[in-house]
Amino acid sequence: MNATAKAARGTWRRGLRRKAAAWARRRQGEDRLPVAVLTRRIYILPTRGGYAFAALLFVMLVAGLNYGNSIALLITFLLAGFALIAMHLCHRNLAGTVARSIATADGFAGEHGRLSITLENTADTPRIGLECALDDAERVTLSIPVDATARAELPVPLEKRGRVRIDRIKLSCAFPFGLFRAWTWLHLPLSLLAWPPPRGQREPPPEAATGGTAPSIHRAGDEEWAGLREFREGDSPRQVAWGAYARGRGLLVKTYQSPAAHQRTFDFASVPGADVEQRLEQLAAWIVAAHARGERFGLKIGGQEVLPASGSEHRARCLNGLALYGSGEPW
Amino acid sequence: MNVARRAPIAAALVFGASLLLSVRSAPAWCLAVALASVVWRVLVASGRVSPPRRIPGVRFLLGAVTAAMVVAVFASFSTLNGLAAGTALLVVMGALKLLESRSRRDDAIVIGVALFLLLAAGLGGQALLRIPLYLLTLWGACAAIALVAHDVPQFTTRAALKLAARALLMAIPLAAVCFAFFPRIAGQFWALEAGAGATTGLSDEMSPGSIGTLATEYEPAFRARFEGALPPRAALYWRGPVLNSFDGFTWRRENFPQYEAERPEMAGEPVRYRITLEPTDQPWLFALDTVAASPRRDVYLNRDSMLIAPNPIITTTSYDAVSHLRTRSNTMLSAGGRSYETRLPPDRNPRARALALEMRARAASDAQYAQAVLDWFRDNGLEYTLEPGTTSVDSVDTTLFDSKRGFCGHFASAYATLMRAAGVPARIVTGYLGGEWNPVGGYLLVRQSEAHAWTEIWLEGRGWVRIDPTAVVAPERLQRGVFDLLADSLPATSVALHRSALLNRLRQFWDGADQWWQENVVEFNLRAQFNLLEKLGIGEPGWQHLGWAFAIGLLAWISWVALTLRRSVGRGRPDRITRAWLRATRKLERVAPARQANEGPMDYARRVGSLRPEIAATFAALAQRYARLRFGPVAAAAEIAALERDARRFRP
Repeated sequence: MNATAKAARGTWRRGLRRKAAAWARRRQGEDRLPVAVLTRRIYILPTRGGYAFAALLFVMLVAGLNYGNSIALLITFLLAGFALIAMHLCHRNLAGTVARSIATADGFAGEHGRLSITLENTADTPRIGLECALDDAERVTLSIPVDATARAELPVPLEKRGRVRIDRIKLSCAFPFGLFRAWTWLHLPLSLLAWPPPRGQREPPPEAATGGTAPSIHRAGDEEWAGLREFREGDSPRQVAWGAYARGRGLLVKTYQSPAAHQRTFDFASVPGADVEQRLEQLAAWIVAAHARGERFGLKIGGQEVLPASGSEHRARCLNGLALYGSGEPW
Repeated sequence: MNVARRAPIAAALVFGASLLLSVRSAPAWCLAVALASVVWRVLVASGRVSPPRRIPGVRFLLGAVTAAMVVAVFASFSTLNGLAAGTALLVVMGALKLLESRSRRDDAIVIGVALFLLLAAGLGGQALLRIPLYLLTLWGACAAIALVAHDVPQFTTRAALKLAARALLMAIPLAAVCFAFFPRIAGQFWALEAGAGATTGLSDEMSPGSIGTLATEYEPAFRARFEGALPPRAALYWRGPVLNSFDGFTWRRENFPQYEAERPEMAGEPVRYRITLEPTDQPWLFALDTVAASPRRDVYLNRDSMLIAPNPIITTTSYDAVSHLRTRSNTMLSAGGRSYETRLPPDRNPRARALALEMRARAASDAQYAQAVLDWFRDNGLEYTLEPGTTSVDSVDTTLFDSKRGFCGHFASAYATLMRAAGVPARIVTGYLGGEWNPVGGYLLVRQSEAHAWTEIWLEGRGWVRIDPTAVVAPERLQRGVFDLLADSLPATSVALHRSALLNRLRQFWDGADQWWQENVVEFNLRAQFNLLEKLGIGEPGWQHLGWAFAIGLLAWISWVALTLRRSVGRGRPDRITRAWLRATRKLERVAPARQANEGPMDYARRVGSLRPEIAATFAALAQRYARLRFGPVAAAAEIAALERDARRFRP
């Protein structure tokens, strides 16, 4: 087969797969964690090995019938039954798996984000050779003992800056004989952010000294932690320290203050250049560098401002702002 | 064991097992090559031998070796179509695949070749004894398929064997349904060439001593199941090849009739029986003297009352025959026939010829002469023995006048010579005499050791008459088998084996089981399928009934499998904690955005709180309780109940 024909067949196959996936999405609707993989939502088809096995059985059947040879026919029928049982076993190996929780980690465009999915085995036999993948990307294999959980870490390719939606996660297995592949699609509302890659040689803007602020429950620019105080009428429930409440310490709210420090604010408007992406990349480079040095920094972009602060969470918040610039999404 | 090593080892071992099954059909050099590559592959895969480096041009080398092997196979069989040649080819191909296999796909192909070899073995031999070997190979192959498909350490070899056994056991009912009802076809699409299997048995020529070599062969020649009573033992002459041409030493069968002859009239009650003939690699079928008609349309009943099949018998074959123990014929033998059946080499056995002329002169008729010669045989101290010693080219003279010792073949040859020398048409008939009654299976087992030779002479007004000179020399042969009669000449161990009553009983039992297998499984065909349907109550069974029975059986099996395997399917039902949480969040989703899959309960509570401050505290408390139960160390029953209550009462 020449390359063109191969490519054409590949495209045709991909199209078919996309259609099947879209059909399953309509049929199943959106999922919600935890997702129990029940028999109703499991699809199953022979693998390439399975088709080869079927061809072998056909030849055996023809030979057995041709010679009226009972033993050849018995062997053929036994193998056919074996293949059908293999199908059931494969189907069963997937059923009863529960997608318990999912965590994601954003990343820079051009690199990989990460999605980790925790699977639980609620069946009474071990799940072996489960494979987890984003659509048809690389598969991660895992096995789960009875009444246990296991986690699969999937790399998520982040191609372009912005929000990367994960339409579906494919959970499949070809266990135990590799003749069939059973799979299910998980349609979860999932997305990752692809930050602009940190690139650019420009000098960052100069530092400016600022004074500290009084403790406040508002955390506009990610000031540092300043302790807990009693809940007062009018306080937002967002600031309630639920962890403390859970430990039985009553309703408390968290307060913050910003200490006096050297800091600078990166302003999108002041980055020279015509290309938006390049300017965002420059900002990302500054943010990454400032964070690496442990400095405090702020960000002004698209009419929003993040007051100067430091820490990983702050860095992620600023990068999120860059990722979503121009999308109109709040962040 | 390193799990990555399991797959190639398993594939190689399964291939090795299939080689064992091919021992009979593949030539030794093929098997040796294949066995060597199995050993090599196992050693490399288990790390005992380091794998070869990739040599440039190795593909061409392998291609050349493959071509050479194909040529070698062709050279040993002069065909690639026969079963034996095909087996040899598969063996060679599998061996070469083993040498070059690097991937799982290669291992899978090797298993496929092993399955084909299993099929070829099944086509070649269907005896009950071989079935356990087939099943073991099948089991190994299925387990190997699993090991090739999965190399995760959690999946042990033991688990693979167990799963394969379970799958195969559960497949047995389906195999039975398919076997009984999957419609068979009556003919063949194409035919394989006859195999070159070495079989023992009668050939179409007889020299002094050639029957004697069969006397030590204990293999079954055929089995006969009688419809009525077993005929008297002395009448159990099973006719095989008829030999008409004598060179003084060897009797031969001539394939083309030299004269026209009419078939004798049948007299007396017919004897009906079914014969299951072991492969002979010869075209003739055996039947009780004298067979009335051809048992099958494609079998030819010739002028010598021999049954001749169109092809050599290479698989166990069954046929129903009808014979009459008495015949009569009022026809004349044509002049051509008379001269044809009295031909003798003019310069051989002069003393016998002289004796014949002298005795014929004294007798009044051919019949009297025949009786006189029989008396002469009885009275002249001839000895019936398995070890008559060697004979000269004038074998009849040696037997009658010098050694005076002989086996059935010697006496038959001598008698026929004496007849022909006196102008009485005579011929040699080879076949079997007697048989061993198997009370377990209710059939007569005729072994190679019962091989016998006798004569038929033409008497005016009676037609061909069977005369057995051995019966005069050793009358006890009519009642007992050679094993009993000539035990001294046989190896002591084989005699001991056959004298032990217990062993005999076991042998009979096994042979009975084998025969049952042969009749009910191996020979199960379309007619047997229709018979089965009739037994199930279908009046005039046809193809559509087979189809229905097959469909019903299939459905029943599928339902049974689904029910059996479903019982342990994981239900994936969430526990009480999750159920309560889901109940609350579902209510919440009517008024607030749904939780993101990667959003923890606390994050979600915070987001909901900022959007809907009036339910913030209630929901935050609920989320908190859920988080503590879900992710905390121990979940107290009271806490779970509290969460459920909160969820029930939650009104967003």
